[in-house]
Amino acid sequence: MIHLIVVKRIKPIPFSGFLIPLISLITGLLLSGIILYLSSGISFIDLMATILTAFRSPTVVKDTLILTLVGISLVLAFTGAVWNIGSEGQIHMGMMVSAWTALFSALADIPILAKIVGILLAAILGAFWAFIAGVLRAYAKVDEVPVTLMLNYIAYYILDMLVYGPWRGKRTWGYIRTDEIPKILRFQRILNTTATWEALILVIITGILVWLLLRYTTIGLRIRVLGSNPDILRSAGISVPLTIVMALTLSGLISGIVGSVYFFGDTYRLSYPLEEHTANYGYLGILVAWLSMLDIRAVPVAAYIVSSLRISGTLMQIGGLGGVETMFVFIGSVLLTYSIVRIFSEYSVKIRF
Amino acid sequence: MIDMILEIAPVFITYYLVALGHGFFEKSGVLNLAIDGLFIVAASVAFVGAVYTLNPWVGVLSAAVITALFGVFLAYVTTKFPVSHGAVGLSLMFLGYGIGLIFGIPANFYANSQRIKSADYTFRITPDVEVMMFIIPIIIGFLLLYILNYTKLGASIRAAGENPHAAAALGVDVLRTRLIAGAIGYALIGVGGAFFTLAWRSGWDPKIYLLGYGWLAFAISLSAGRHPLVTAINAGIFATLVKYQYLIQTTTGISTEVAKMLPFIAAIIAMVIFNVTPLRRILAPPASLGKIYYKEEKTV
Repeated sequence: MIHLIVVKRIKPIPFSGFLIPLISLITGLLLSGIILYLSSGISFIDLMATILTAFRSPTVVKDTLILTLVGISLVLAFTGAVWNIGSEGQIHMGMMVSAWTALFSALADIPILAKIVGILLAAILGAFWAFIAGVLRAYAKVDEVPVTLMLNYIAYYILDMLVYGPWRGKRTWGYIRTDEIPKILRFQRILNTTATWEALILVIITGILVWLLLRYTTIGLRIRVLGSNPDILRSAGISVPLTIVMALTLSGLISGIVGSVYFFGDTYRLSYPLEEHTANYGYLGILVAWLSMLDIRAVPVAAYIVSSLRISGTLMQIGGLGGVETMFVFIGSVLLTYSIVRIFSEYSVKIRF
Repeated sequence: MIDMILEIAPVFITYYLVALGHGFFEKSGVLNLAIDGLFIVAASVAFVGAVYTLNPWVGVLSAAVITALFGVFLAYVTTKFPVSHGAVGLSLMFLGYGIGLIFGIPANFYANSQRIKSADYTFRITPDVEVMMFIIPIIIGFLLLYILNYTKLGASIRAAGENPHAAAALGVDVLRTRLIAGAIGYALIGVGGAFFTLAWRSGWDPKIYLLGYGWLAFAISLSAGRHPLVTAINAGIFATLVKYQYLIQTTTGISTEVAKMLPFIAAIIAMVIFNVTPLRRILAPPASLGKIYYKEEKTV
């Protein structure tokens, strides 16, 4: 009989911050390769070739910027051990107010103001959407994972309701969607990519601010302590519930901004049903945050890798679902190997017969 | 009126069995966030099994076996290694969406190309069958209640959920107990998921991964304190809400989207009610639910 014995290491292995994501990525892709080969006969060589093509794909810059922003949002929450799985919903609430500002408010005539107000409102609504889950977690002790997830479905249906009803456009060739926003309201593209300057600026500003927040401010310290040992917060007389609400709300605020970046810079309209048109950035961001080992500086690298995986998923779609099935296999297998492999930095596993 | 109640049966059996299996597994201390993804695996595997053999029972059996294997894997990894239950569970959720779709899509093509109609591979629903779909799950509920409260296995499961270290010190094999709980729990989730495709929906659709019904089962079980019989009441309420959301919609004049939203709002409210009322004290969740189980004695 083979026995696996888990032993704690005296010291964590060196370079674990770099080695663990790398090993997880390789093993996760191998696992994906096996699953895709067994189920659809896609060879591993083809899979690798598609991923390599995706690394140089024209849309990878846009996805990387958006996923960096989602990654930053989730690193903030995950650092406090608050599992915000609702970024998807917060992004959609952000998209909703951005669409309102651009299509229905009086601000649409003053483009620069419309964009700024669109981003600000998106941030507020994203924050509010996460705040709901934060309050329920902090004060009613309802686990935030199911709540944030269910709020994603509710967000989809709210947008569906608006797009199907009052927001349905006039120039849509029979599709159920809103009108496109005028060209003047769209974010400016960087050279000949699909990424936008505004997205780049927002990523840089948010990245620096969140890094400073977590490293040098009291709020950041509280969030970090919340993630490592909430009892210390409690004994220092700092409100644990309030810190939880803060971590989730700030995370939602950034996810809300992602919604405005995605709307003003990429979709330009909302299409019914939203749940079928989503790029799943909210879920992909979870992979980004974990692969970055919760280090803001590593988020762009993780975002680049995950963007390529997403794009290769769409390149090798199996059944007309836009590659969503392959994408889920990638997310699932890389996250799974990561969740297991990460223990090796602090533990070793010995085999005894 | 009786007709209307009977029509809820396929929805009830789906929700009740999934929530029952989930609650039984969580009683052993493993936080099960994989539920929604593996629900999709169950629904898809059941469809594959039934379509290729034209026998719904093969579908039910294959779903039960495959999801039980996932359950055993989840129980093994979270008990043997000091890993986060949440992270492993969520990973399996995503993997479950992917695997479910990858297996379901070719079978769907096959069914369409062979002109297989849903009546060829799903359960024929008659009033007698509907009555059985109420009675059999409730018998299973009583059986699980008996196992949990009056058998050695049940005592081990509860002990592993409350305090695995103390349980191990008293001679309970925590790993074995959780593996059994995972297998039984996930087999039930598999059967529930199978009834979703083969009785409730009478067919498979690639968009099922968007429904989030596994999360509703999660909320049903949580807000019933994982008690097998209270879960039946909750499952009944949610089954009615989901089954008649369109009726609610037409009678009250609300839009389809609000009707689709209602079960999720109700689920959040149900979890809040459970947590802020004495219910949480009476039907307390396992004290070590989701906590990493690591024994220092493993150092040899």
